[in-house]
Amino acid sequence: MPDFECIEIDSISNISVVKLKDEKVMAPARIETLGVELLSLVENKPADDQDVVALNVLINFENVRFFSSGAINKLIVLEKRVRARGGQIRLSNMQPEVRDLFSYTNLDSMFDIRNGQAEAMESFKEN
Amino acid sequence: MPSKWKYDQRIESDPDLCAPIIAQLLDQLAQLNWSNKDAFGIHMAMEEAILNSIRHGNECRQGTFVHVVMELDDVQFSGTVTDEGAGFDPETVPDPTDDSNLEKCSGRGVMLIKHFVDEVNYNDCGNSVSMSKQKSS
Repeated sequence: MPDFECIEIDSISNISVVKLKDEKVMAPARIETLGVELLSLVENKPADDQDVVALNVLINFENVRFFSSGAINKLIVLEKRVRARGGQIRLSNMQPEVRDLFSYTNLDSMFDIRNGQAEAMESFKEN
Repeated sequence: MPSKWKYDQRIESDPDLCAPIIAQLLDQLAQLNWSNKDAFGIHMAMEEAILNSIRHGNECRQGTFVHVVMELDDVQFSGTVTDEGAGFDPETVPDPTDDSNLEKCSGRGVMLIKHFVDEVNYNDCGNSVSMSKQKSS
């Protein structure tokens, strides 16, 4: 597993559990790095790889206190890529302000957001 | 500790120059005991306004500037961001919360500014936005 600057990754069964490291996801250069690292999760798992049943990604926001719309755009790109490969994405452990941001922008209709990581992990079994 | 903070700078049209300004703003909000919820909203609104001006107003052109003015005390925040672009009509921006627009980037910034502060006004040509917010009780 390569080292990443902005994320920590744990792979559990066919779920990539991603923890965002930064408390403030704001600086454009940092957001670009985050986007590249998130997309590498998808790009490292080719669709024709027989070992990959589905690509599921869980993103844990536990550390994040401030999040910008530029970073949201990176999540949207990741969601599209994951969905295109037949996978699913979950977001979890958001601070109330960050959670509200997704509500205000109606992005909670695009992303399945769960309170805790365990609940999010379990929810992959629902589909 | 000062009870009032004022920021008045013209910055070059480089998106990387936004984060240090927002970091200063967050620091001042914390020093003046604004809640995390208020600070989150003000930071979102100002960040969107500054980045919109740099990227869409001035199109990141070298030699152009964005004028950022902020005033903060322990009860009120006000901010104005002005670019050198032709401006835009905020009423014509597509609704970013519409299902068909969710995956598009445009319009989200304008909506977030409106949502997170109490009052937002654009000048006639649309290249300057002013906003204000009272501290929540």
